[in-house]
Amino acid sequence: MPLRSDPLPRMAGHLSFMRAQSKEICQVRAGDLAVLGLPFEDTSAPYAGQSLAPRALRETSVYFGWHANPQFSHPVDIDARHEIRTDGLHERLCDLGDITKGHDEEIQTRVKTTTQQISQRGACALILGGGDHLAETVERALPNCQTTLLGGAPGKTQDFQIAPLCDDTTDIYELDTSARLIAFSKWRDKSKPLFVRFDLSVFKTSLSALCDQPRLGGCDLEIVTQWLATLGRHEVSAIMLTGLNPSRPGMGIVKVGQRLMVTALLAFIYARLGFTNVHPDCQTFKENVPK
Amino acid sequence: MTAALTPLNAPLIQPGYRLFDGPLHDVSDVTLGQIGVVGMPSDWTHSSRLGTRFGPAALRKATTIMQSIRPQDASFDPDTGLCSLPVANWLVDCGDAEVTAQDVNATTEAIAAMTEVLTVAGAIPLALGGDHYNSFPACLGYSRGLIKRKPATRFGYIQIDGHLDFSDRLGAWGSHNHATNARRISELPNVDISNMVWVGIAGWVDGGDLELIEKQGGRIFSASDVHKLGAAEVMRQALAHAMRGCDELYLSIDIDAMDAGYLPGTGSIVHSGITPRQYYDMLEALATAPLGGLDIVEVSPPLDPSERTEFLAAEMLFRILHRFRTRPVTAQ
Repeated sequence: MPLRSDPLPRMAGHLSFMRAQSKEICQVRAGDLAVLGLPFEDTSAPYAGQSLAPRALRETSVYFGWHANPQFSHPVDIDARHEIRTDGLHERLCDLGDITKGHDEEIQTRVKTTTQQISQRGACALILGGGDHLAETVERALPNCQTTLLGGAPGKTQDFQIAPLCDDTTDIYELDTSARLIAFSKWRDKSKPLFVRFDLSVFKTSLSALCDQPRLGGCDLEIVTQWLATLGRHEVSAIMLTGLNPSRPGMGIVKVGQRLMVTALLAFIYARLGFTNVHPDCQTFKENVPK
Repeated sequence: MTAALTPLNAPLIQPGYRLFDGPLHDVSDVTLGQIGVVGMPSDWTHSSRLGTRFGPAALRKATTIMQSIRPQDASFDPDTGLCSLPVANWLVDCGDAEVTAQDVNATTEAIAAMTEVLTVAGAIPLALGGDHYNSFPACLGYSRGLIKRKPATRFGYIQIDGHLDFSDRLGAWGSHNHATNARRISELPNVDISNMVWVGIAGWVDGGDLELIEKQGGRIFSASDVHKLGAAEVMRQALAHAMRGCDELYLSIDIDAMDAGYLPGTGSIVHSGITPRQYYDMLEALATAPLGGLDIVEVSPPLDPSERTEFLAAEMLFRILHRFRTRPVTAQ
């Protein structure tokens, strides 16, 4: 899809993540961020509706599609006063669309194949779930990968659980983020692919309002953003968003959950593509493209 | 035989809700020092999520309900430790401005005409949005009225908001919409950008707009500033900046500066982390500010089925108007 020269209302036009260009897998290049939707849900989940999340996330993401709107200049994070130059983002971020429907086995095969192809091309898969039951399929597509979790159900013992911690006695608010970042660096084996699971339940419920797994002791937006920015500076092979259910009573109207997730995800996207604050010592996105 | 019906001669009241259950009169009946309420039930100038056309009605209902459950006589406020008595005749609801759908100019002039009459009379216009664009016509009328009442007077401007609203144009909506209201206000003849202050800005903003504001001396306090400095201190600094060389203050209250987790019923939600308590503390820090006019905007009842948004917004009005609706009880 070519860049428009005229402004386009947010609710109009072809829907893609952050107004990214649509691509086919064969067009994905090393260093790209390739968005992939998994509009499926676990039929045994307590609440139906997570299959609607990819569309909801894309709709909200359009708000952040500055790079595709000629009327905007460049975004500035007003809290940190970080200035981002998004030149080139349109060439690096692409939307592959959704996995097509089918029987469970067919879906799993398609998810696995697509994730593998994205990874083999040296790109990062940005996967919009959907239920978290397909996370293991994504994991299997990335041989020997390390998995880190932001929210959701507790992972395996070898996974790095950013939040929630398995130790129920620890209050998330009192976590020493610096110490956790050091622990993450020690855990991380750069010879292995990295898979990030990002579930809406990582946020404290007062912020996310409603999600399928409400968590009173969750994180605030600042901590989640800080972690996603950190993860974005690693060679992440895939990041998967789960836990959003737009059909929960009220959620489809208030849209708080999807806005919260996309707002935080922006930190990952900018860091992953090498867009940082404009500073002489900072890398530009061109320097950060994997060889 | 059916018994003859006894005629009912109960006293009648005006149907519908008025803000704070106040009387309904024409703008020309509002007098010096009173609050004159103008409804702006328009959301044609919002670019995405609508519903603020129902905002004025929701605020009228919420303030009336909350008023009815508050003490009608002297009361003690545990927050401030002060006793106060309600004041009579402090507010007049002038009804809604005539909104002409898809005719921005006609709607603008209709709103401005009402706030201008109120300002000339020495009353304080309180405009109820509507989307945030409507803040511009409300302020436009105030600006015109101020020129007539005190020709040499300049006013300061504070906008509590999650967004700057300082774009020159926005997509298909052109130059007059909910993202350009502050820019249009900055072009009024009796306000200067160096007297304009934004409080509660959250997330990502347009770098060009930010640079333009700060180069010309405008001041921006982010949501992080509110968390780091404290709500009262931020507002103290904001007021000091806005009032340099000015006699009056125009206050624009966009409810979306509050975190969407608490207040989801608004068109452009942000995750500022600002709690209801912090928002109210900001408003109470303006308790003695020389208010010349104000508006409250972006209350969108259809976007919050729980209705808590309109009650949180109504409480904002209780806080900012505290000194008008009550008087202190002197200790014996």
